[in-house]
Amino acid sequence: MRGGIKFSAFRAPVESVGAAALTGSKFAQDFSIQIRCARNLFLAKARAAVGGEFFTGAAFMSKRADLDMALHVITGNRLADGISVWFAGPKGWAELVGQAVGYDEAGLEAALAQANPADAELHVVDIRAVEVTREGGMLFPVAHREQIRARGPSVRADLPAGVWRDGAEPLPPLPSASSSSPFAGIYRYDEYDRDFLRQRATVFGEQVERRRKGELTEDEFKPLRLMNGVYLQLHAYMLRIAIPYGVLSATQLRQLAYVARHYDRGYGHFTTRQNIQFNWLRLEDVPDALAALAEADIHGIQTSGNCIRNTTTDEFAGAAADEIVDPRLYAEIIRQWSTDHPEFTYLPRKFKIAIVGAGHDRAAVRVHDIGIEAYRDAAGAPVFRIFAGGGLGRTPYVAVQLREDLPVPELLRYCEAILRVYNALGRRDNMYKARIKILIREMKPEAFIKMVEDEYASMAAGYCLLTDEMVQAVAARFPVPEFPRQDTGVLKSALLDDRALARWVKQNTHPHKQPGYISAVISLKPVGGIAGDASADEMDVVANLADKYSLGEVRVSHVQNLVLPHVAKDDLPALFKDLVQAGLATDNIGLVTDIIACPGMDYCALATARSIPLAQRIAERLAPKQHEIGTLHVNISGCINACGHHHVGHIGLLGVDKNGEEVYQITLGGAADEKAAIGKIIGPAVPTAKVPDAIEALMEAYLKLRETGERFIDTYRRLGAEPFKGAIYATH
Amino acid sequence: MPLINTRAEEISAAEPDVVLAPGGSLEEVLPRLAGLAVIAVEFPKFRDGRGFTTARALRERHFYKGDLRATGHFLPDQFAFLIACGFTSFETPAEHNPAQFAAALAKPHQPGQLLRRSLARALEAG
Repeated sequence: MRGGIKFSAFRAPVESVGAAALTGSKFAQDFSIQIRCARNLFLAKARAAVGGEFFTGAAFMSKRADLDMALHVITGNRLADGISVWFAGPKGWAELVGQAVGYDEAGLEAALAQANPADAELHVVDIRAVEVTREGGMLFPVAHREQIRARGPSVRADLPAGVWRDGAEPLPPLPSASSSSPFAGIYRYDEYDRDFLRQRATVFGEQVERRRKGELTEDEFKPLRLMNGVYLQLHAYMLRIAIPYGVLSATQLRQLAYVARHYDRGYGHFTTRQNIQFNWLRLEDVPDALAALAEADIHGIQTSGNCIRNTTTDEFAGAAADEIVDPRLYAEIIRQWSTDHPEFTYLPRKFKIAIVGAGHDRAAVRVHDIGIEAYRDAAGAPVFRIFAGGGLGRTPYVAVQLREDLPVPELLRYCEAILRVYNALGRRDNMYKARIKILIREMKPEAFIKMVEDEYASMAAGYCLLTDEMVQAVAARFPVPEFPRQDTGVLKSALLDDRALARWVKQNTHPHKQPGYISAVISLKPVGGIAGDASADEMDVVANLADKYSLGEVRVSHVQNLVLPHVAKDDLPALFKDLVQAGLATDNIGLVTDIIACPGMDYCALATARSIPLAQRIAERLAPKQHEIGTLHVNISGCINACGHHHVGHIGLLGVDKNGEEVYQITLGGAADEKAAIGKIIGPAVPTAKVPDAIEALMEAYLKLRETGERFIDTYRRLGAEPFKGAIYATH
Repeated sequence: MPLINTRAEEISAAEPDVVLAPGGSLEEVLPRLAGLAVIAVEFPKFRDGRGFTTARALRERHFYKGDLRATGHFLPDQFAFLIACGFTSFETPAEHNPAQFAAALAKPHQPGQLLRRSLARALEAG
């Protein structure tokens, strides 16, 4: 090893560390345990010292006045495990910001050169200087994001201190090895499919190895790791695993729990795109984690990167009483078609497809790159309404319609035509203008549609034709569960004398196409909790309940909740009792506390504000009135990339950084369903601490103004923003 | 830079008759397509995937039969994708030697596996 790359830590024998920490030897593992302990101790102290709040405000400003010039430290993330490291001068890289050397402006340039020799990226990535201030002999980064990088997420004080991953520890057998779960309606893999996933895990392991050896630069490696779902976030690598069209078996959920427990820190986060994210992966563990998941037919393929992402759909697909066409079949076909597509894997930008087959749009298809509505024509055959160019992010658009009734055999051909035009013409000079929605607006929809139609018309007759045979071959691998149970009135009589049950049933269930059954939603939004987070233990509980009550099947909704799709109505009281016992019976689906929130600046490298704590404060404030308020979608995004879908929330909150302060823009009137609309910003941004007041005032106004049976969104559509504006801005 | 074929063997071959810049229009070459023996498609950076669509358009929409050559910066990890889209020769980039491309081919993993079983697509089945 050439150059000055070293890792040092508390009282550690610095010289021996650099090489060993990189080799994966037993010594390195022992050492890494040692430094983790030291780090957690430090984090605990740091939290206690600053009370979990940011080091900011008046105290900070007066401190700044004492400084002659800006002080900086140099930071990066360690390649092997992604954790934040701080340059300690001749001692190399340290895990604690307190051990970093501070540089004034005169010394910074030379120090950066010293920290960043030619082979630096073999060990540390994203090396840069950040401004710090000194408080009681300790260094604190000035920027909130850097403080969080140094201290850990502000919302997870419950994380156990100490080692979370001892690489030497032998792991127990995989849950999939001994599964006796009923194999419900999920797509049935065979060895061909499974081998494909195993190979992908092996190939990714080789790519990691080539990256470590320098055969791939970070610039080259990044898109390859992204295409396997691996991001580098603030504290570690994040692994995003697809839950294709939101369908999971109990066994798969147990396998996810296993990864959470043994490779991560005991929990996972369900996202708004029917994925699950693990936040604390070590890069070198990712191939093993992917291999473990492959044994349960799950993967992280194309969950990130500029490619076709996980196809999403309605969480009640295949179960809902109002369903016209079961979209899972076509979603699976799209998954197979788009996986490793040779032409469309290096697109200008990410590409998201959603499909829905019910009269009601529960998959937000009009805000996707391609949105598909399946319905039946006069003869009863499935046909597709095709939309393109919807999206959120910094320039939100509702999609334009391209086709009214595309026949099934044409589905993939037509998608290819859309993607071909996009891949050839989508902008690559500016990532913020690279999505298909921008291309369509810049070209004008008519010109775009004409190009797609020309491309489509020029295809050879049989090219990419989805024949009935192929559809049937995929359909045959979705076993149709039997629904033998009848409603014998158990639920009805239980409802008479159990108000809690009645309220939960009213709020958390959805009608099933089989009269004896119902779909039950398990809220992952307990008041004061973290939207979409589930512990490994909770995942196991839900898997067991799925076996017991739902034919071994679970769904993940795009609003970050779980669903047991096939529960016999007679079993519902027993299920509720079990959920209460597990602490999973929150009865808030579709209410103000069922908030969609992205992970925000507590985890995400892109975020400018912390969305989780805001969601917690709003939920705490409004929980007592939530049933009175009724249906209301509050969506929170921690930055303009809009992962929290704030544009389509009835109330949308967008966190922005205003001179170092986190403030929130409020939008009203958004909707993601068949009446899709982008919410309108109602006025100046509100300081984070004032947002719960503002929302409460908004709700008071709504309760006064609403007519009987009117949801907030209906009142807003009737009266406009004016009456609500007044209420909000009277609060501060 | 070494030139290789679809089996990652080093070859010597004619210089391209035309070099298509990324984002360039095909209009100019289409009238004389039949007379072109070698067309090069340039990848400015491996992330820029326009060349994949250019290749597919030339092969499938315009029935170009000559040698289609990838030039510029692309990765061994993209080799199978390039072949599937119709490229037949490859000017290996300075950062990645022919041995790395040969290693990429040795893997059982091929792109579009799931699709290939469901859809009989001529180019990918080949």
